[in-house]
Amino acid sequence: MASLSRRLLLTATASALFVTATACGSAVNTADGSSSDGVITLSMHNPDSKTQDPATWQLVQEFNAEHPDMKIKLEGQPVDQHEQRMTIAAQSGTLPEIFWVYDSLAKTMVKSGDLLDLTPILEENGLKAKFAPSMLAGFQQGGMQYGVPYQALITGFYYNKAILDEHRIAVPETFEDLLAAVKKLKAAGVVPIAQGANNSSFSVWAFLTMLDRFGYEAEYPKILSGEARYDNADFLRLYEHVRELAEAGAFPANMNTQTYAQAVASYTAGKAAFLDAGVWEAAKIQQSEVGPSTGFWAGPTFSDGVGEQRLVMNVPSAPFVVSAKVKEDKEKYAAVKAFIQFYYSDAGQKILVDNAQPPVTTYRPQVDSTKNPVFAAVLAEAAKPGWTSPKAQPDLVVSAATASAMYDSFYGVMGGSLSPEEAAGNVQKTIK
Amino acid sequence: MNWLSTRRHFALMVAPALIIYSVYMIYPILYSLYYSFSDYDGVTATDFTGLDNYRQMAQDDAFWTSLRNTGIILGIALFLLIPLGFLLAVLLSGRVRGSGVLRALVFAPAVIAPILVGLIWIFILDPEIGLVNAFLLAIGVPAHPQWIGGPTLSPYSIGLVYLWQQIGFVLTIFYAGLRMLPRDVMEAASLDGAGRRQKLRYIQIPMLRETFGIVTALVVTGVFKVFELVYALTGGGPVHLSEVMVSYMYHITFTTQQYGYGMALAVVVFVVGALASAATFLGNRRKEEAS
Repeated sequence: MASLSRRLLLTATASALFVTATACGSAVNTADGSSSDGVITLSMHNPDSKTQDPATWQLVQEFNAEHPDMKIKLEGQPVDQHEQRMTIAAQSGTLPEIFWVYDSLAKTMVKSGDLLDLTPILEENGLKAKFAPSMLAGFQQGGMQYGVPYQALITGFYYNKAILDEHRIAVPETFEDLLAAVKKLKAAGVVPIAQGANNSSFSVWAFLTMLDRFGYEAEYPKILSGEARYDNADFLRLYEHVRELAEAGAFPANMNTQTYAQAVASYTAGKAAFLDAGVWEAAKIQQSEVGPSTGFWAGPTFSDGVGEQRLVMNVPSAPFVVSAKVKEDKEKYAAVKAFIQFYYSDAGQKILVDNAQPPVTTYRPQVDSTKNPVFAAVLAEAAKPGWTSPKAQPDLVVSAATASAMYDSFYGVMGGSLSPEEAAGNVQKTIK
Repeated sequence: MNWLSTRRHFALMVAPALIIYSVYMIYPILYSLYYSFSDYDGVTATDFTGLDNYRQMAQDDAFWTSLRNTGIILGIALFLLIPLGFLLAVLLSGRVRGSGVLRALVFAPAVIAPILVGLIWIFILDPEIGLVNAFLLAIGVPAHPQWIGGPTLSPYSIGLVYLWQQIGFVLTIFYAGLRMLPRDVMEAASLDGAGRRQKLRYIQIPMLRETFGIVTALVVTGVFKVFELVYALTGGGPVHLSEVMVSYMYHITFTTQQYGYGMALAVVVFVVGALASAATFLGNRRKEEAS
């Protein structure tokens, strides 16, 4: 009896250890990626896609309905956790089949052979021809097409026409116009520009476009190769302008403690005149009380800027990438291929447009500007005659460390914690 | 008992715990140490970079800020949290009406998840929407201090929120210690005419020396694990001025994907935390030997 008890005890201990060990591995995928059940996982940067990214959610629902022999399981976490999880999954060989990821991490994964070359999938059914070349060019490395654009990024300032009209302010065009508007709004007790830095330091999109108006696109390859510096005189002039805005009271007093989501909420509640954001907020703003009076602006031009000033940020966002292991499983490969073909088909792009997201292919949407005025305003600004777009958003062409320092540099000057020289110098320090 | 007493069987019984401890504690520490000497980015193969990460740390202003902020919170914990926790325990151990309810109320923050504590205190300390500044404004104080989110006060505010969160826990340990003191000693002191203050100074505090040691050790180790409060209250901002060592390590490792440098920071957090804990334990032992 005693011997039996000891055996039972040892068996129980071993079982407990086994359960603990296997539980650790079940978070993402099986280690050899071979569970060939036709189910593929799409892992996103939102914990609740149904409410936070309804376009992707609807695309997945319709794909599953149209493909009864295949199934996409949609999952997600907040951006930071998602990036962390994908990194760990890459280390352990348990990447989900398709996932969203920042381009800097995707490029790292390409180096270690974790991602699938999507060229054959894009070449089928003429899918590649549906993309403008610039939409795919950013996601190529060593002749490999490792990613496809998840959505298009159109960024800038939303503005509340009712607030501007009330204070007799015309929609700004130049930096001087913006500065004058900020001073007037501040004097009237209105928050001029809604910004939120707490755990969302990345929310400086309009300022990243301004960086392009000071010659970033031409300069960054030289900066990365060491031929030029980030803390150059041109960029410092931009940071001086940011300081001018800050000193004029452009940003809310609680900018450092409120999150980006709270900044959006303050705008949609009619408490701020401008919001630094992008097309992804169009649907939410449209449904809010400020929807009918909201317009969209690509941001100010600068008389002391460098190069083309008529720039509107309309670029591919971070990519969808596919685990290299998918190739080892015919069913999974077929499902991934079918999903990519569906996502970028006209039907798929229509779903994006129906959810107030711009198409990433050459699909021309029909947008009813009376029903969707905010989304229509964003699209109109992006297609303004004579205006062009940079090839990529400035933070998406540098390392994660440099991108993070760029975000901090803007928020540091906005909040008065950094001088323009310190801000630009901090970014330069991250470039190795 | 006879079965357990043989060395082989004893080793067999200890083995599962030892394996788990090694896999989940020792291995990660050694793993961090190894990668702290590399330029690991989290995914691709690494290059050995020697002490480069540690040199980078020495020149990294944000690291020194995080170290200073951790020190500020440690100071608040040692010089305010422990004395206040003890005094509250003394007050509540007396014959106070409703002391049970009061104890429960003081302990309540300790059972709330730190991330929620942070969210609650945002509504109190936020410079724009917070209750503190609203109160100051209501009583005619025009100043609008940036309790959180500014370049100066954030670490002190985080320290005080940590105090609020932990005081119930500290109080409970002291309260248990006070209740364990032999009643006859206290009664004898009363018969000898000792007042409340004298009993506190000459009986309760000396007899609770071991409890003080345990509380100090717990508080010191706890301070080096503060993360969620910072994450919720300020996100380490503005521009990393309110980071503590752990939150800065998290930022470097997971946000900027500098795993090698992040592991070097983790090693330093471990070493500083271990040294502080060792100093506390040594201090406790010396006091015990001296008494």
